[in-house]
Amino acid sequence: MVAHLVRLKLTLLRNMLRRSRAQAIGVVLAIVYFGFIVVALAFGVASLRADLDLAVAVIPVVGAVAVVLWSLVPLFSFGSDPTLDPGRFATFAVPPRQLAIGLIAGALVGLPVIATMLIALGVMVAWSHTVLSTVVGAVSTAVGVLTAVTMSRWVTAVATSALSSRRGKDVMGVLALILLVLFSPVLIALSNAGGDVLGVARSVSTVAGWTPLGWAWAAPGDIALGHVALGLLRLALALGFLWVLGRLWLSALTRLVENPRSSARPGAATVADGDLGLLDRGPDTVAAAVAMRVLIYWWRDPRYQAGMLLTPFVPLALLVPYFTADIGWVTLLMAPLLAFLMAWGEHNAVAYEADAFWMHVAAGTPGQADRRGRLVPSVLIATPLVSAYAVAGAWLAGRFDLLPAVLGLSAALLGAGYAVSSVLSIVMPYPVAKPGESPFATPPGATGITLVAQLVAAMSSVLLAAPPIVLALLAWSGAGWAVAATAVVGLAWGVLLFEVGVRVGGRIYERRSPELLMSLTAN
Amino acid sequence: MTESSTTESSTTEAGFAAAGETAPADLPAPRGGPAEGPAVAIRGLGKRFGDVIAVKGIDLDVPRGSFFGLVGPNGAGKTTTLSMVTGLLRPTVGQAFVLGRDVWADPVAAKRLLGILPDGLRTFDRLTGLQLITYSGLLRGMPRELAAERATELVNALGLASAQGKLVVDYSAGMTKKVTLASALIHGPRVLVLDEPFEAVDPVSSATIRSILGDFVESGGTVILSSHVMDLVERLCSHVAVIADGQLLAHGALDDVRAGQSLEQRFVSLVGGTTQVEGLSWLRTSSD
Repeated sequence: MVAHLVRLKLTLLRNMLRRSRAQAIGVVLAIVYFGFIVVALAFGVASLRADLDLAVAVIPVVGAVAVVLWSLVPLFSFGSDPTLDPGRFATFAVPPRQLAIGLIAGALVGLPVIATMLIALGVMVAWSHTVLSTVVGAVSTAVGVLTAVTMSRWVTAVATSALSSRRGKDVMGVLALILLVLFSPVLIALSNAGGDVLGVARSVSTVAGWTPLGWAWAAPGDIALGHVALGLLRLALALGFLWVLGRLWLSALTRLVENPRSSARPGAATVADGDLGLLDRGPDTVAAAVAMRVLIYWWRDPRYQAGMLLTPFVPLALLVPYFTADIGWVTLLMAPLLAFLMAWGEHNAVAYEADAFWMHVAAGTPGQADRRGRLVPSVLIATPLVSAYAVAGAWLAGRFDLLPAVLGLSAALLGAGYAVSSVLSIVMPYPVAKPGESPFATPPGATGITLVAQLVAAMSSVLLAAPPIVLALLAWSGAGWAVAATAVVGLAWGVLLFEVGVRVGGRIYERRSPELLMSLTAN
Repeated sequence: MTESSTTESSTTEAGFAAAGETAPADLPAPRGGPAEGPAVAIRGLGKRFGDVIAVKGIDLDVPRGSFFGLVGPNGAGKTTTLSMVTGLLRPTVGQAFVLGRDVWADPVAAKRLLGILPDGLRTFDRLTGLQLITYSGLLRGMPRELAAERATELVNALGLASAQGKLVVDYSAGMTKKVTLASALIHGPRVLVLDEPFEAVDPVSSATIRSILGDFVESGGTVILSSHVMDLVERLCSHVAVIADGQLLAHGALDDVRAGQSLEQRFVSLVGGTTQVEGLSWLRTSSD
């Protein structure tokens, strides 16, 4: 079994080179490029051998972070490597224990693990001070790598069942939120520490060395420093942790193999009979019906939630230069950035519906109603959020005088983005995760068109919003009259672009909806 | 049409009292059409996908008030043909008319008369059953009150009342078929085009659907369905067309097409191929 799974992974690796020639060249170039980086990193780590003090300060924290990364990545790229999805083996009569070991062995045959192993070799070299530290270094580094891989398998297995139930998906959304919220203070703290990076690293390493994630990475350092008993204790703890993880992985896998689909059924949401929910709200028009249906989808479909939850946090990244580099005005950009992102985010809206879109085609929905209805929910959310960001940004920057210009610019960017999205979502749909798939899954072979469409959407919305952007720049550089001008022109421009976008989009929709449906069914 | 009666459908001749050509959206139920002219007319319809010609020029008239069965082996081009007739897939050549309206020149008018149940396409399955049916009505511009009222009637008639508040994604395959059928019926179409309507549907639901379709035809509507279950087509349909490999092999009233044989025998002889299986000796357990 183990041999089969390893061979399967080897075949898959080889097949990466078997697609088109251009793709093969791309793969080879990527391998060479990342290979250089990895080898350089491995040498860098190995050179820590010269400075034991530094090694003790750096390696445990880096090791712990690596384990964390290994467990987080599957959450976000979940579904990208379905070959080792335990659910797929449900129909084969393989004993769970063999399957568990086999899947770990299979996971070891992969480019990310090979890269990790190369760096781990560097770690082993760094610890080779005495015979004992060399041996413990080799053993515990191997344990560390295995811990990372097992952890990532276990997290994937748990996420598989969590993501397929509706409640689990909510938990995932909250988790992603917490991670993001935690992320910015960490960045700020790190950049504040500025001068004393080594001191911070040393204290973090001390803490990390006592957590399950750091045991394996800290043990050899103790031995090298002469604390043999402590080092052996940590190694024992690390082995124990690996064993616990192994058991967790085995039980998660057994559950998946024994009832691969059960997780999707329970927890089915039910509403009272005759309750139409949101469909009963709003004006009695086709556009409103479409808008309400989209809102219901935002509420119930994790693929929309991922975007909705993440987008409002992106402009907060501007707080980092604000707090650390003392660039006061940068927060003024928060609202325009959010406006741009929210409107741009609609540029592939129809693709998320996949072939359910036939209902719109079959009904002969008027193009304008379809276009307008799809954009309204985003407008409803963007308007208050962007305004709040504009006020907060002006307040932080201490430039309330520029608030009208910020609002005008944001309105223009929203309008331009929606206009572009209204047209592009018909003309240039690209494959996305299908309904029911993980929000983070990317369909294979779609990277090219995805990048092109995203780039076209971004550039054309900025181009369309150019006049108010120029006015805003003038306002910022001190031209007093331009503040009011940006406000008025920006708002008018945004509304105008929105209306034009909806009309043009509507006309193209009426001409092309069968073709759009075909391209949605094909992928 | 929402009252499920037990009348089994049988042949109904074309020719019912006229009730105006363009039915407004709020008309209660289909009440037949003018006496002359086919319900669906297909003229030289063909579709090419790259190098593959899926449908090779089909001419076909579907009489008004007929229960029309489209049969053919897997990959014969049934779904492609029906998609082109219903405005979901643009034909490479040819035309399709629904009650005299050109589907591709005047899609809005044609689609108003059509109710569609496609096979293998998703629905908006994060809506509840009742929401989905209502949404389908709203998309066609029906007033909300009327759509909600009819959706409730449909849910009761199709035996989905207890599941109306559940998300469609949690429905079984048969229930999904029924809820999609209800979505196709809500605007009171005159022509129903159903792709494999009985696949994965349990016998009880299948009987319900049959009686609803029977009533629909009885009151002057036209049903076109595709299937590869010959027994079912033989029992239900007044007219059949056999297509294979993108071509029309036979069409007409059921008795004319089957020409004294059973439909299955006739079908196999038309389509060709053999029912003799060679090899697979290891499958015969008696050979142990």
